[in-house]
Amino acid sequence: MLTRRTVLAGVGGVFAAGAAGRSFGAAREPLRCGLTPVLLTSDLDLLEALRVYLTAATGRDVEIVTRRTYQEITSLLVSGQLDAAWICGYPFVAYRSELDLLAVPIWRGRPLYQSYLIAAADRQARSIDDLAGDIHAFSDPDSNSGFLVTAAELAAKGQRPERFFHQTFFTYGHRNVVRAVASGLAQSGSVDGYVFEVLKEVEPSLTQAIRIVRASDWYAFPPMASPALARGSARTAALRRALLGAHRDPAGQRLLAALRLDSFAEENPSLYAPIATNMNLVRSIG
Amino acid sequence: MNPARGGWLGRAPITVKAPVVAALLMAIVGVVASERVLSRLVAIQERQINELTSAYLEGLASPLTEPVLRRDPWEIFNTLDQARHLSSLVRPVETVVSDAEGHVLAGSDPRARPIGSRQPAMAAPAGGEGRIAIDEEAGRAFVSRSLAVEGTAIGTLYSEFDISELLAERQDALWTLLATNAGLTLGFMFLGWFAVRRMVRPMKVLSDHLAQSPEGGIRPISPRLFPRLGSEAGHLFRRFNQMAEAVNENAALAARLAEEQRLAGLGRLTSGMAHEINNPLGGLLNAVDTLRRHGDKPMVRTRAVSLIERGLSGIRDVVQAALATYREKDGGRQLSLQDFEDVRILLQPELRRHAQNLDWHIEATSLPSLPGNPIRQTLLNLLLNASAASGEGGRLSFRATTHREGGLCLEVADSGPGLPAAGAALLTGDGASAILGDGKGLGLWMVRRLVDEIGGTIEVGGSDLGGTSIRLELKNVAMERHSNAA
Repeated sequence: MLTRRTVLAGVGGVFAAGAAGRSFGAAREPLRCGLTPVLLTSDLDLLEALRVYLTAATGRDVEIVTRRTYQEITSLLVSGQLDAAWICGYPFVAYRSELDLLAVPIWRGRPLYQSYLIAAADRQARSIDDLAGDIHAFSDPDSNSGFLVTAAELAAKGQRPERFFHQTFFTYGHRNVVRAVASGLAQSGSVDGYVFEVLKEVEPSLTQAIRIVRASDWYAFPPMASPALARGSARTAALRRALLGAHRDPAGQRLLAALRLDSFAEENPSLYAPIATNMNLVRSIG
Repeated sequence: MNPARGGWLGRAPITVKAPVVAALLMAIVGVVASERVLSRLVAIQERQINELTSAYLEGLASPLTEPVLRRDPWEIFNTLDQARHLSSLVRPVETVVSDAEGHVLAGSDPRARPIGSRQPAMAAPAGGEGRIAIDEEAGRAFVSRSLAVEGTAIGTLYSEFDISELLAERQDALWTLLATNAGLTLGFMFLGWFAVRRMVRPMKVLSDHLAQSPEGGIRPISPRLFPRLGSEAGHLFRRFNQMAEAVNENAALAARLAEEQRLAGLGRLTSGMAHEINNPLGGLLNAVDTLRRHGDKPMVRTRAVSLIERGLSGIRDVVQAALATYREKDGGRQLSLQDFEDVRILLQPELRRHAQNLDWHIEATSLPSLPGNPIRQTLLNLLLNASAASGEGGRLSFRATTHREGGLCLEVADSGPGLPAAGAALLTGDGASAILGDGKGLGLWMVRRLVDEIGGTIEVGGSDLGGTSIRLELKNVAMERHSNAA
């Protein structure tokens, strides 16, 4: 669904290389890459830039698949209906055994990003404790920065979001969290720090009414993942090559510039261990 | 309109009244037309607002149903936010969605209507479900619509719209309409005024000619004032001139008749006077003869001269009275007791001829200021009529009395058979009574005319003598006024 909801909504997105099962016998079938909401001004332009680059870099037709929620994309990826997807670190660790790490975006020199707690600019809040009793906007229940980080912080205090906050709701997009807080629909929100920083640059009118209450620890950047089923397939390999070589290709550079990323890199999956820890902490509290 | 009852308009001449009425009617038409057009415009606009707002709410209801069921604030907000710019003429200012219990699920302005707050009171009171409430001062319209799934209410959608553009449009239309209608009305008022004034102009000409007629005559309308040939007014003017001619002829005829009557009276008197003069003439001639023959005798001469002197004095009195009465031009001479005496002298021959007896009572030492000639003529006419009515050996009476307030009352009574009703009507009627067919009423008609001229009144009644009594009540008038009027 390419509405405004998807336009700048949040990264956590994914694109995925085709499911191995299908792609083995059908080399001419297009590569299917999944993407949850993208963040830049025109998602159509961005989708097209991504498709054009991957098509050129892999030498195959590429189809970009978008869905409203992380869960839908994750399901498609895990079930092998996508060759690759740009997913969040949270579903990556949740489905660790069924997914392989394809590439990790490098942002400002590191494969890391933060989660922000945001509130209206005129609020004096300095920590999550000052946000107790708020109407709080989360991005997606499967988002690390847009949900899990905040939930884990509360879990560490023995709290659960629905008790700590007066009311919570999901906007299914990081940009929507910013809109909800900026409009006053929510008094505070949990948002992807990378998306917020990009929004500050491309849509300052939206972010100027917002202040960052606290930035979380650094977490591994939402990865490009592929289904474990397709491990070692030519399609997956082609996609990995394309991603890792993007910063050396003019079209790839344009794509990276649009995404405000430096490059894609190979990283050790252990980078995502803190997210797994958070996940377990939240699950432990029930 | 009855002038006695009307205000200034009622008293105004028709040449002013008719154009004013025409102009007023034009103004009323203008006002009524403006009011009708404007109320129609208002109705059309309200229907338009209704349709636009309904379309807006209907368009929202469907995408909102699912989020309201899920109680998803973001989805509701996002839907409202996207719909914010859909409608142009009626711009939604605020839209709020509440659940079935009246708690806000989300609104387009979450700061004003936070999640969980009570639903707004903005639309509920005036409009009611599906109906529009308009606050013209604020330029706002409020509408609500319930959200239901399979007949079960799940929430309510409230919207506040900025309709100031529509209202401004209406205001524009109002001013344009008012300006146009005012201009047209003024134009029509002027045209109405002009046209009606033109139409009633002949009436003014007629009225002026009637009013300007001096001395009872009617001045015909000059051909110069005639409108074009064949017009209604031209026809009317020609008829007026024919009538004026007839009236003037009648007046001339009446004047001639009056003159003839006067001369006839003179004739009657002259014969009496001749007799009156003739009677002493025999004695006078005898006295002259006596003088001729016995003039040398002082005694005889003295007696004869005295006789001649008395005889000539009597003749002189009669002649002077007649002269005073029939002098053609006598200016504004004031009434004096001598006038009564003259009338008495003039009447004597008639009285003697018919062996009639006259009771003569002058109970006035000083007379009010009244014109002499008309009264003298009037009195003579009345007394001659009374003499004629009383017959041989009849009785007449004359009484002149002055009032304290300065008026004069003259009463002539006779022992005749009584004045016929037609004659009495000539004296006391509305002045429209015609002269009796046989010409006998001419003397009475002249009396009436003379008394009218000097502003007196006439009463006719029965007399103690068995006949008719005619009373003239004359007010003290300035001589000058009478002279001018004459």
